[in-house]
Amino acid sequence: MIRVFQCEDTLTGIMTGVYDAWDSRLGHGQVRLQTAQNMEPELFCEYVTVFPDLVKAEKVLRTIQRRMGEEAFEMIAYASSYPDDRKADALYRMIVLGLHLPDGREICGMLTQPEVRLVFELRRKAWHIAHRYMGFVRFRELKSGVLLSVIDAEADVLALIAPHFADRLPLENWTIYDRRRKKAAVHPAGKGWLILEEVEEACFCSQKESEEEARYDALWKIFHQAVGIAERTNPDLQSSFLPRKFRPFMNEFSGQQEASKGGRDLL
Amino acid sequence: MEYRIEQQKELSEKLRILADAAKYDVACTSSGVDRSNTGKGIGNCIVPGICHSFSADGRCISLLKILFTNECVFDCKYCINRRSNDVPRASFTPQEVCDLTIGFYRRNYIEGLFLSSGIIQSPDVTMDLLYQTLWKLRREYGFQGYIHVKAIPGADAELIARTGYLADRMSVNLELPTGEGLKVLAPQKQRSKMMAPIRQVREARKQNKNELALYRHAPKFVPAGQSTQMIIGATGESDWQIMKVAEHMYQKYEMKRVFYSAFLRVNEDSLLPVLPGGPPLLREHRLYQADWLLRFYGFGTEELLSEENPDFNLLLDPKCDWALRHLDRFPVEVMGADYHTLLRVPGIGYRSAGRIVKARGLGTLDYGNLKKMGVVLKRAVYFITCGGRQMYPVKLQEDYILRNLLDGKEKLSADAKDTSVYRQMSLFDDPRFSV
Ligand code: SF4
Repeated sequence: MIRVFQCEDTLTGIMTGVYDAWDSRLGHGQVRLQTAQNMEPELFCEYVTVFPDLVKAEKVLRTIQRRMGEEAFEMIAYASSYPDDRKADALYRMIVLGLHLPDGREICGMLTQPEVRLVFELRRKAWHIAHRYMGFVRFRELKSGVLLSVIDAEADVLALIAPHFADRLPLENWTIYDRRRKKAAVHPAGKGWLILEEVEEACFCSQKESEEEARYDALWKIFHQAVGIAERTNPDLQSSFLPRKFRPFMNEFSGQQEASKGGRDLL
Repeated sequence: MEYRIEQQKELSEKLRILADAAKYDVACTSSGVDRSNTGKGIGNCIVPGICHSFSADGRCISLLKILFTNECVFDCKYCINRRSNDVPRASFTPQEVCDLTIGFYRRNYIEGLFLSSGIIQSPDVTMDLLYQTLWKLRREYGFQGYIHVKAIPGADAELIARTGYLADRMSVNLELPTGEGLKVLAPQKQRSKMMAPIRQVREARKQNKNELALYRHAPKFVPAGQSTQMIIGATGESDWQIMKVAEHMYQKYEMKRVFYSAFLRVNEDSLLPVLPGGPPLLREHRLYQADWLLRFYGFGTEELLSEENPDFNLLLDPKCDWALRHLDRFPVEVMGADYHTLLRVPGIGYRSAGRIVKARGLGTLDYGNLKKMGVVLKRAVYFITCGGRQMYPVKLQEDYILRNLLDGKEKLSADAKDTSVYRQMSLFDDPRFSV
């Protein structure tokens, strides 16, 4: 009988799962971790639900940091944010492996191990998405002076990008809202950032924009239009770097469809 | 110094004119500096740089790229802003540039500022305006994001030096690959005058390194280094000549980047070539590829081109082309070859080469592993063995490999005018997006 630990799809959730699975003392071959909720139950498996527990997760994370080093820690944090049904189990196996090495730091280079390779791969994908959001996030200034951004990210990037924006805009009040997860990274000016869970978009978005906002929005659109070189126009290339799914959240693309239609009419 | 700036035009109109006029400068990277915020101002920098948007031509938008003014006392033939052109003119004030930069930066539209300029009145007046703008932005607004500024050839060395302490990157465009080309198309510009600020920045950076070694908090001078740009195809230089200049710039002047810009005919002028196929984008692409080989793969220009064979093969990227001319060095055994040998294998990028070296010390690799590490097997397959085996039987034969490589994605039609094919290829050369 294999015991399947069903974890919440967050870093805390998975790390709690790692703690519980290890703590069950069933043997690593007898346990499995998964984040997917609606998978068909398999025969000869017993399912237990893991309740995310900050204290347990902290313990695991601190052990990883101490015994496997910063790089492994970062790899695990990033990989856990990427949506992939295999990740929880791969993370568990990688941690088990790492903690059994004389020098846990070596784990990051062990790409011949399938679990490590998967985690490595997921980290790369998550980093890529996070890096894109560092560029593609758009803030609007609200009446109160708060800068607000809404995203709909395929990976859980808030905690990955918040440190970057906290460093960049330390004296601003800003919020990045993840519509898909109903979570927000909130940064009060001059203080640290935090994540709020289960918040409705309306909590942030009911406020009107500041007077200045429309002006800068228009200036940015002018700039965006002006920098393209007509002789080199290449929408395919543009889309491959900036896929359409990001565009509804980026002001320079709002209203563009109508604009291009208008252009065609003129022809 | 005295100058008057007309305040008449709306800011939006100025932005339209001065962003449009700056778009021909291809440099837009924000990479090369790591700087955390001090907690007091606004902004930081991260080494890989960040793209904030992409323009309709598929180029990364990272910086607010503008001219301070498009007024110009010079009359370079290839330039839209030349004195003899009748185009709408505009100039910003330092305050306006600050407002735009901060307003855009707070909204996360940009990574910083790229400030270039036409020559208003004189090089000194122009450089002083750029200096004042940067000073205001850094000192009054506490802006700690990325700044790329032009050094104006012919301007006072002291002004350039002071500006360098406020900027992350400085650049002087060589414009044309050789002095002869300049004489024809930009007679008011002299190669020697252009080289003076380039040399000055190199020397000041050297000195600054020593200062920084002594005092960790000494102010930094142009920490992201210099870059330059050459126009490709306006004059008759060969790829070999162009790459020689680029190599010289990297080696002698420690340039961080050399940019290549396919010639665009923006002016009617009998001295300018007419290019019926449009700007030579494919040629530009090959030059960027070769540039990568110089900077990251340990190649020298002489290995890629020669006086007898002075231009790149438009059908094949320079690395494959080189490999096909040196089949005696292949196949390379992935489990044993050193890093530098791996780097020369088509399909193996410098990142994957690094990963291979790291991973094979800890276990045996197979083709599946290689693929996961980013090796493009489709290409590499002809040139490697892994554990003594080929992935599948292939012949180490020039014709055979060439035929198969050309079947791949980069296949080009024989008709070089058919731009639609190479338009598909990436003209973008950001390190993060390359194999
Ligand atoms: S100096 Fe610069 S702006 Fe002036 S005409 Fe020459 S290239 Fe154009």
